[in-house]
Amino acid sequence: MNLFFLALGFGVVTASVLALASVGLSLQFGVTNFVNFAYGAYLAFGMFFTYTLDVTAHVPFWLAAVVATLLTGLVSVVVDRLVIEPFVRRRTSPFFLLIVTFGLQLVLLNVIQAVWGVGFESFTTGTGTPLHLGPFSITGDQLGIVVLAVVAMVLVHLLLTRTTLGKSMRAMSDDSSLAKVSGIDTGRVTMWTWFVSGCLAGLGGITLALNTVSFQAYTGNTFLFVIFAAVILGGIGQIYGAMLGALCIGLAVELSGLWIPGAYKLDVAFGVLVLALLLRPQGLIATVGKA
Amino acid sequence: MSVVLGYVATLGVYFCIYNIFAFGLNIQFGYAGILDFTVITFMAIGGYIAGVAVLPPEQRGTEIFYVLGWNLPWPIALLLGMVAAGLLGFLIGLVALRRLRSDYLAIVTLASGTIVYDVINNYNKLFDGAAGLVGVPQPYTSVFGVNPNTYTWYFLAVSAVIMLVCWYVANRIYSSPLGRTMRAIREDMDVAEAFGKDAFRVRMLAMVIGCMFVGLGGVLTIAYVSALSPAGWTTGETFVIWAALIVGGKANNWGAVVGSFLVAVLFNEATRFLPAIPGSPNLVSDIRNMCIGGMVIVTLWFRPQGVVPERKARFPQLPVRGATTPVSVAVGATGGAGSAG
Repeated sequence: MNLFFLALGFGVVTASVLALASVGLSLQFGVTNFVNFAYGAYLAFGMFFTYTLDVTAHVPFWLAAVVATLLTGLVSVVVDRLVIEPFVRRRTSPFFLLIVTFGLQLVLLNVIQAVWGVGFESFTTGTGTPLHLGPFSITGDQLGIVVLAVVAMVLVHLLLTRTTLGKSMRAMSDDSSLAKVSGIDTGRVTMWTWFVSGCLAGLGGITLALNTVSFQAYTGNTFLFVIFAAVILGGIGQIYGAMLGALCIGLAVELSGLWIPGAYKLDVAFGVLVLALLLRPQGLIATVGKA
Repeated sequence: MSVVLGYVATLGVYFCIYNIFAFGLNIQFGYAGILDFTVITFMAIGGYIAGVAVLPPEQRGTEIFYVLGWNLPWPIALLLGMVAAGLLGFLIGLVALRRLRSDYLAIVTLASGTIVYDVINNYNKLFDGAAGLVGVPQPYTSVFGVNPNTYTWYFLAVSAVIMLVCWYVANRIYSSPLGRTMRAIREDMDVAEAFGKDAFRVRMLAMVIGCMFVGLGGVLTIAYVSALSPAGWTTGETFVIWAALIVGGKANNWGAVVGSFLVAVLFNEATRFLPAIPGSPNLVSDIRNMCIGGMVIVTLWFRPQGVVPERKARFPQLPVRGATTPVSVAVGATGGAGSAG
């Protein structure tokens, strides 16, 4: 029973990391209507910007994380403007955009390797002593991850429901041309979408690095299919679906650790992905005509 | 001198193998519009299965584990490798090729590749985990003679013959009714289905045939190198094959050949001779990967049809009433494969 609560606690932490990353991916997916296969590299950017600021420049960790998050958002916008947007403007079909982002993945990950090297790194925060909260036992870092994720989710919710930008994003997600004829500046909304998506990817990367303690350039990329699983389980382009999907996958992954060796626990996410595609390809929260 | 010749022969073997990979991907992507983002996984499965079929049973107490160990002759191992790769393609296709968006398909292939990699890398009872298979006996060394330099030439001849057979088969498929159906599905799945074509079945065929080609390439790889480990088939390797096909020209096997030569042999091999930069031994390979990724993006921007574009389908000119010039009806035209998948 003790072990169960331990795994449940880790499950919530993994779900938090996953929620940050998958909401970012889902938001961009919804607005632009194609998958960004380079998303794993954005997670790595978040990790390594934080690493440079934290370890090399000795900036306080929280400040490093904030700056790195914003920088990752900026990278996301720049990459979109330089590479993806020209293809979109030329009306390249989503089919070829997938290949473009797949190529970007290779380019960006190798840029990261060239700049920061191939070795495993870790932040200066250390692992910390576990806190005992009732039956749960998690480190201060992990508690921070959960709190951060909850705050970020509330902020995303407020962004989407209370601001004009958020409402425009939802409008574009529903019907991009209808949004355009209604006078929404789709170019601007797309740019902000990439920024928010990049920021969430950065945060996801930083929290992932905190959770796994040591990380390298490909850490985010190996996590990518878990993010995909959460996004597809929730329903493509569905923000709240992605949160729900992240929670399911996070818990499934960590609780499965009770029965199967830890090296394979992420593979459980693949099992969930396959089941989701076979049984409910439209996702838990379905949209008409999106699957 | 003989060293240089031996190297040229080695490049020739790689050229043949990459051609086979590119033909396989061409059938999947070029003909049928299937986004297979894990091509190299099928190469690995083909290679591993052929390897363990040829190897003697594992020795107890050596800490080297692998399944099978059947001591089979190479031709049977080759068939087994192809079948195994095709079977894996079938299983992945069962999930990926259902009527889903093309992004789902790409995600499923990518995720499956990650899982297969993960399991083979971690579970050392299958193919000795991260260490990989080593010491797989090269085929017919006693027949051809063991001098490594002359042996390479014999191997080159054999792989060239196999490559030519693949070339013939791939081209026959292209112009066969099956190939035409594949291309019709690539262009517009709804239209093809409206004409009574079973899109799932045809795409599954393309997937499995493509995987068998790639698996065959994998068998040749392990037969030549006599070793295969997870470090040798990462996502980057998948992208070399993609880059070859995109740069060379999709849906045209000449394009696949040109692309394999330009990307996989000329670019990928030539850059291996660049001196390593002191202090950062990985920089050259990082830059090489950046260039391969960049090459694809640049090609898709400036010449999306590739160096050797797909031949436009030619049909008899139909006189159209009211038009002064006859209009040709082109179905398999190059360009947008947008609605497929």
